[in-house]
Amino acid sequence: MTEIPNMVPVIPEIFVAVIGMALLMLGVFQKAADDATEVKTAHLVSRLGMISLVLTMMLVATVAGSTFNTFSGMFVSDPFAVYFKILILFASALTLAISHNYMENQGIARFEYTVLVIFATLGMMIMISASNLMSLYLGLEMQSLSLYVIATFNRDDERSTEAGLKYFVLGAVASGMLLYGSSLVYGFSGTTDFQMLGNMFDGDHAPDASLGLIVGIVFILAGLSFKVSAVPFHMWTPDVYEGAPTPVTAFFSVGPKIAAIALFIRVMVGPFGDLVQHWQQIIVLISVASMLLGAFAAINQTNIKRMMAYSSIGHVGYALIGLVVANEAGVRGIMIYMAVYLFMNIGAFACILTMRRAGRMVEKISDLSGLSKTHPMVAAALAIFMFSMAGIPPLAGFFSKLYIFFAAVESGFFALAIIGVLSSVVGAFYYLRIIKVVYFDPPDETLDTPIDRNLGYVIFGTALIVVLFFAFPGIIIDGASAAAAAMFTK
Amino acid sequence: MIIQGLTFYMFAFIAIAAGVMVVSAKNPVHSVLFLILAFFNSAGLFVLMGAEFLAMLLVVVYVGAVAVLFMFVVMMLDINFVELRQGFLKYLPVGAVAGLVLVVELIVVVGGWHLSPEALKTAASPIPENVTNTHALGAIIYTDYIFLFQAAGMVLLIAMIGAIVLTHRKRSGVKKQRIADQLARKPEDTLEIIDVESGRGI
Amino acid sequence: MITTAVFLPLIAAIIAGAMAFTNTGDDKAKKARLDMMAQYVTCGGLLLSAIFAIVIFKDVALGGNAQTVQLFSWIESGSLNISWALRVDSLTAVMMIVVTVVSAMVHVYSIGYMSHDPDVPRFMAYLSLFTFFMLMLVTADNLVQMFFGWEGVGLSSYLLIGFWYNKPSANAAAIKAFVVNRVGDFGFALGIFTVFMMFDSVNLDEIFTAVPMKANDTISVFGGQFHGLTVACLLLFVGAMGKSAQLGLHTWLPDAMEGPTPVSALIHAATMVTAGVFMVARLSPLFEYSEVALSVVTIVGGSTAIFAATIACTQTDIKRVIAYSTCSQLGYMFFACGVSAYSAGIFHLMTHGFFKALLFLGAGSVIHAMSDEQDMRKMGGIRKMIPVTYALMWVGSLALAGIWPFAGFYSKDIILEAAWGAHTLTGGYAFWMGILAAFLTAFYSWRVILMTFHGESRADERVLAHVHESPKVMLVPLIVLAAGALFAGYIGYESFVGQKGVEFWGSAILVLDSHQALEAAHHAPFWVKYLPLGVGVAGIGLAYVLYMWKPAIPALIVDQIRPLYTFVHNKWYFDEAYDFLFVKPAFYIGRNLWKTGDGALIDGLGPDGLSAVTLNLAKRVARLQSGYLYHYVFAMLGGIIVLITMYMLLGG
Repeated sequence: MTEIPNMVPVIPEIFVAVIGMALLMLGVFQKAADDATEVKTAHLVSRLGMISLVLTMMLVATVAGSTFNTFSGMFVSDPFAVYFKILILFASALTLAISHNYMENQGIARFEYTVLVIFATLGMMIMISASNLMSLYLGLEMQSLSLYVIATFNRDDERSTEAGLKYFVLGAVASGMLLYGSSLVYGFSGTTDFQMLGNMFDGDHAPDASLGLIVGIVFILAGLSFKVSAVPFHMWTPDVYEGAPTPVTAFFSVGPKIAAIALFIRVMVGPFGDLVQHWQQIIVLISVASMLLGAFAAINQTNIKRMMAYSSIGHVGYALIGLVVANEAGVRGIMIYMAVYLFMNIGAFACILTMRRAGRMVEKISDLSGLSKTHPMVAAALAIFMFSMAGIPPLAGFFSKLYIFFAAVESGFFALAIIGVLSSVVGAFYYLRIIKVVYFDPPDETLDTPIDRNLGYVIFGTALIVVLFFAFPGIIIDGASAAAAAMFTK
Repeated sequence: MIIQGLTFYMFAFIAIAAGVMVVSAKNPVHSVLFLILAFFNSAGLFVLMGAEFLAMLLVVVYVGAVAVLFMFVVMMLDINFVELRQGFLKYLPVGAVAGLVLVVELIVVVGGWHLSPEALKTAASPIPENVTNTHALGAIIYTDYIFLFQAAGMVLLIAMIGAIVLTHRKRSGVKKQRIADQLARKPEDTLEIIDVESGRGI
Repeated sequence: MITTAVFLPLIAAIIAGAMAFTNTGDDKAKKARLDMMAQYVTCGGLLLSAIFAIVIFKDVALGGNAQTVQLFSWIESGSLNISWALRVDSLTAVMMIVVTVVSAMVHVYSIGYMSHDPDVPRFMAYLSLFTFFMLMLVTADNLVQMFFGWEGVGLSSYLLIGFWYNKPSANAAAIKAFVVNRVGDFGFALGIFTVFMMFDSVNLDEIFTAVPMKANDTISVFGGQFHGLTVACLLLFVGAMGKSAQLGLHTWLPDAMEGPTPVSALIHAATMVTAGVFMVARLSPLFEYSEVALSVVTIVGGSTAIFAATIACTQTDIKRVIAYSTCSQLGYMFFACGVSAYSAGIFHLMTHGFFKALLFLGAGSVIHAMSDEQDMRKMGGIRKMIPVTYALMWVGSLALAGIWPFAGFYSKDIILEAAWGAHTLTGGYAFWMGILAAFLTAFYSWRVILMTFHGESRADERVLAHVHESPKVMLVPLIVLAAGALFAGYIGYESFVGQKGVEFWGSAILVLDSHQALEAAHHAPFWVKYLPLGVGVAGIGLAYVLYMWKPAIPALIVDQIRPLYTFVHNKWYFDEAYDFLFVKPAFYIGRNLWKTGDGALIDGLGPDGLSAVTLNLAKRVARLQSGYLYHYVFAMLGGIIVLITMYMLLGG
């Protein structure tokens, strides 16, 4: 008789899966002939989805504090996982909050959207809790598959279809790389379990790592880099961000990115932590390239979604500095960075979602001109987000960069910190340009008022977090510190 | 032992050659046929390793279902493959160089093949005796690997939802059989009994 | 309870602020309703907070139950650990009472005073916000949190001075206040750095326990070795000078009178400007170990006391006179601290808070009655028309002049006695300056009363026709404050500076055994005890002679000493000197840097040079993004090849 595995730590995942399926059933059985009821159903499912994501957050919080390893080592739940899961759930819930209005306006309000976002969330949660290369891959694939579909969700729109297709094909290539790397690792070590890998290559045994294993790690790195859209695996990002429906883009820029960064840390610091000198240089290269490309390529963009794509590439570059450092301070820096990034990015996208002229969405940067006159509050919030992304004190974005750069300087990576600071100066250029357009350019045509109420709430809430972070950083920083510490106690 | 070795190299070589042909064949139908060949040879490799269940799975699922589906798609879609291949020669040198570098590197990797003693220990979990392949797989897939099994199930569900979301369209004017409606019909609703006097009609 | 008391004003400010942002359009009734709600919320919050403060005072100061409430951690970086915490001991409890009570009164008063203003919610929100920052300042348990409150009150002060932002002079005054304070804050910040450098901590408790061990440490500044504590204390004192408008950094305070009068009463008389005194008292364990710093504090305080008093005698704007008077009184508090009689300084701070707020609000009441006229030369003879205000101004002035039994008598006397009791050169200097200033104080106080309320009216007919007593909502706060001005001195004397002093203050204030000025003050000879009262009465008498009975004499005197008068009347030419020394050169340097430095050098390299390169680069990078799928795949493959190759060549 086999023992029944400990189910307690997996309860949140089970809950999400069950909710996803239940909402699917609800939607299918509610689905009626005419469009109005379809929209209504979509709305109901979206609401329920949001509520259950918040409930999941509470469930996740109940397993916080201790470390569980279950399902014969396939699944781990530790403070690190809890921290990132909560971020992910925030990302998904906020995405649902800002989606519905857009979807309805575009005539694509269908309940499957919510279901797919929830399944993507499930995939990300599994990724974050993965402690085996196999569960890692399954989580990743579950997430990616949902994302491919929602990128194409506006299936009658050419750009949306193209975005989905590109993402799918390139994602498949990346998955192939990841799998190839996993197979190399398995071939050279005989196991896919993180803990066993970690024991196999800890301190004394680090020299045992053969070239093949390292090449395997590099392939895994490449696959993960694709998911966080780090240079040179970033090429899909601008096209997909531009083409996908805007709320989906918002989701892409936070959820999957945060999950993949978590996975990055989990894989690199966990099983391969003692091989750090082997992979450090590679991450340095990826990080520097991402920071520079993010800074330079964004300058010439005229489409704000494309600009945000490059901005997100740059942000990943900064976050990866923390991984280069590969100690507790560095990981803590990443965790703080991602939390702050989540809120300012969702907020910025919520602002972008308010850009509508005569009922149609517009997304050129120049369309923002005169926003300060027509939507003073949105303009102020957008300015806050842009200042924060540019890293201007005392906003949250400044502190998150500070923690990362501090960690780098403390460990002697001066060059990296200097490149980071310089590229953030270049980056400030395009963030400030938005503010300039918003406040100083004369409006040619005004945008529609009033804005959707949900968007207003999200913008207000996230702006508040970004502004007040400096006064109450404890909530995020304490969580990050505990989680980072958990990652380094063996 | 020798026979085993020879068979291995035969299967392996044919599989790789077929793989090359899949990419380079001019006619897409040929490509699919080569793909089937590659599948068969991989199945042979599985048999050599004693994994007969996986070998059968490969033949049944990949050859029987996937490849045939490919064949249908290739033959039904009207794609101009000549146009698709236009850039082929232009990009060949660059691609070849990149491929060459990768091959060389992988050869170096394989050349430096050495396993850590720990790794050997873990890898050498023997195939249990007196247990069939199917049985062994079943024994772990629902116990140790239940998590992965369930997760894979979710992935498939998502794939299904995705396919429906992206392709299913409501069509108006299609008549469908509604069994519930049919069962709910009562004689009173549809049947009227009228006395007809002879010779007068209704 | 402590947390509630501190955060209530913040909550009130947020609510009122939200109302200020609410767009009511042309709906007058809705706007009136909103205004009223904002007033109720903020006044209610403050009154509650004041009641809590009194309860806390009873518990902490009278019950000897000092405590620290930890809220949560703020900054953790290396050995720098800063958390939000509310430290409440006797000193804080006293400050909390002054702040919340005066603030509550000013809030209530503002309901009447600002009744015609279109921006009531904004005003109330600013006031409450200020109160919150002030409470943060006085409850700080580390220097950085204190700095947070310090900057916060500076910000609120800026907002409130510039409240009527359509008035250019108000804007200029707001900026001036902000900039001059920046000089002081810079000193404060440097002081914090120095302290952190010496003690490796900014936490007050940790610093205070470590002080005796580091008493003789030296630090090197610009290559020279200096006594560490002296450097730290002097830098911190620069901060205090800025906030408390001491000689040299005082120029912003009179200009700050551009703000609404309740603001002047709350911020520029009773609370914010006393922050410097509070800081010196709070850091008494540091200052005690540096004789030099104490001497500097004494001299600056004494000089300010006399200097500001002379100017006050020549000003004609009623609020400016009181502003200079504030400056002068702050000087008293500082030299009290300088001779180690911190408790006397704080005692005067408290009594002064009451009677100066009373004077300001009274002046506000006068201004309100005179249709916003502030020039005393255009007033006169209105005592019959606004009798209550007149009486209350008398109470305030008597307290200010230090006439028995008003509050000022007790607190000012003990300060002067302590200065005498210090038996040092600086103490003596401060004592005589203080006596002289006391004389002038009485004189200009009655000059105000006589010019405003007595004699022939010099206002024009239309204004006079409208003179009216203020509504009850303005008078009640005045009466409450007048009660404070009457009784606070008598009630507080024993506990603050008398026999019960040691027990009352507990560990909040440290005085070394070698500094026993306060003890000596109680044994001062007869003439020291009664001289202040004597000169006070003499000052009042002189004012009566000059402005009541022989009104021709002042002009004669002025003619006799024309150069001196001009000098004093122009505020010792401080503004002109600063303008010449700092502002003009700064503009000059700025213009030059802009034209040559920025225009030619930085623009040449930056926007026109470097940024052109950047833009060029950006164009190229963007071109990489072709949109073709196979380009992207190839980039990925190329990427991984590069990575592996790099690893094989470098890493392996």
